[in-house]
Amino acid sequence: MKYLLINSATTNLVVAIIIDGKITYMYDKNDGNDTSSKIMPVIDEAFRVSSIKPKDVDKIFVCNGPGSFTGIRVGLTVAKTMAWSLNIPCYTFSSLELMASGFDEDVISLIDARRGFVYAGGYDSELNETYKDSYVLFDNSLSGKFVSYDSFPFSTVKPKLDLLKVISKHEKDEIINPHHINPNYLKLTEAEEKRLNDNGS
Amino acid sequence: MYILGIESSCDETSMSIIKDGTEEIATVVLSQMDTHAYYGGVVPEIASRMHVENITIVLEEVLNKANMTMDDIDAIGVTFGPGLIGSLLIGLMCAKTLSFVFDKPLIPVHHIAGHIYANNLVKRLEFPLMALVVSGGHTELVYMKEDYSFEVIGSTLDDAVGEAYDKVARVAGLPYPGGPLVDKLALEGKDTYKLPLPLDDDSFNFSFSGLKSAVINLVHNEKQRGNDIIKENLCCSFQNRVVEILSKKTIRALKKYDVHNLIVAGGVAANKGLRNKLEDECEKNDINLIIPEIKYCTDNGAMIGAAGYYAYEKGNLADLNLNAKATVPLK
Repeated sequence: MKYLLINSATTNLVVAIIIDGKITYMYDKNDGNDTSSKIMPVIDEAFRVSSIKPKDVDKIFVCNGPGSFTGIRVGLTVAKTMAWSLNIPCYTFSSLELMASGFDEDVISLIDARRGFVYAGGYDSELNETYKDSYVLFDNSLSGKFVSYDSFPFSTVKPKLDLLKVISKHEKDEIINPHHINPNYLKLTEAEEKRLNDNGS
Repeated sequence: MYILGIESSCDETSMSIIKDGTEEIATVVLSQMDTHAYYGGVVPEIASRMHVENITIVLEEVLNKANMTMDDIDAIGVTFGPGLIGSLLIGLMCAKTLSFVFDKPLIPVHHIAGHIYANNLVKRLEFPLMALVVSGGHTELVYMKEDYSFEVIGSTLDDAVGEAYDKVARVAGLPYPGGPLVDKLALEGKDTYKLPLPLDDDSFNFSFSGLKSAVINLVHNEKQRGNDIIKENLCCSFQNRVVEILSKKTIRALKKYDVHNLIVAGGVAANKGLRNKLEDECEKNDINLIIPEIKYCTDNGAMIGAAGYYAYEKGNLADLNLNAKATVPLK
């Protein structure tokens, strides 16, 4: 089985090819906010290095958020278009889950969402959710071992990725039509928030 | 040659299949206008969100409509700019992925080139020509000596003409998008309000912010005096100034460049006041005028598929590094 995995929602762009349970290509770099121009050349390289063609891919795994809104959409558009084109299943996973996947203990993944807010998600070593992915004001109610690419005024460790763990958790998920694979922003747009507030008051 | 044209630069997700740059095989346009109307204008983040939800649906629908598969498509043309960056990226990523998966050439198309080539779907362009591009984001006079060769000889120094229409509509208390309503009311009204003819100079540039401010001040002053604004007359007075300056500079440009073909492109090309005025002036000056059907005036994939054919013929191709650009000059 040949899998393509994409995560473009976080600081690091992650692209990987997995063939029969072995990672044949992995890109995991801070792309300096250049995801939109980087991602396709990286995917192209991934296929060349792994000596496979797009039509050889059996399944796609893509991160649907949370994180950079534009980043989420870039990777998701590629995955949706490819899954539709090749008529293959596409599964989604959480950026916070991916960040926690390489740890053998309970951790809480954080992405800075500015103005004191974070995207937070807690996972155990089997990737069971211990704290549901949320957009929250960071306060004392969150505690544990924090994992993040971002800098915070408290100590965090860099994410560790175990792609095979993420894949084995999701490859039996219900198959969704690519048309309905959509971002999980965990946050409304500012315009929508303002409208809700205005209507509420 | 069949080109899949993809357009997502603002609030329309659209794709078309165009044969040889002239024949429209199928088009799908998914407009978000009703959603943005709640907010009184296009909200970029909402537009981007809607594009990503709809992109593969539009793709499947246009192929179904044409009774074709991706194997029948020879190349993919996509708007890479200018426009809203988040919106542009969805169409662009889709186009790059299709180009990669199906190993088809990728053609970067400038949004304004697309608007100009919408006319090619009505009648094959004849050169040399002058194009007046008027929309919510653009006001430009473009000289073309041959296919896919663009020389911008004048453009707006501030607001685009469509933008000025929407702002004046808001001042007049008309709902978004106000441009078409201003046009409608203008045709029912009289030119009674004193407003300046904007940037009436020797250049081919335009400026609409001064005229817009004049309208705002006029409405404000009338209100202070306790006078009701006669909306029809306000719209008529404003529209007459806009149409007058657009037509005056366009006709002068045609004469200076000794060009006898004029095409009008962009959303404001649907404006009846502008159409009527240009028809009159072109007849007087022996100019061959082409204005596209209303459906080709707004953003659509058909114009991108048409322009893409001539870009391809010129060897304008891109690789997977192609990025979207919010602003990019027409060259």
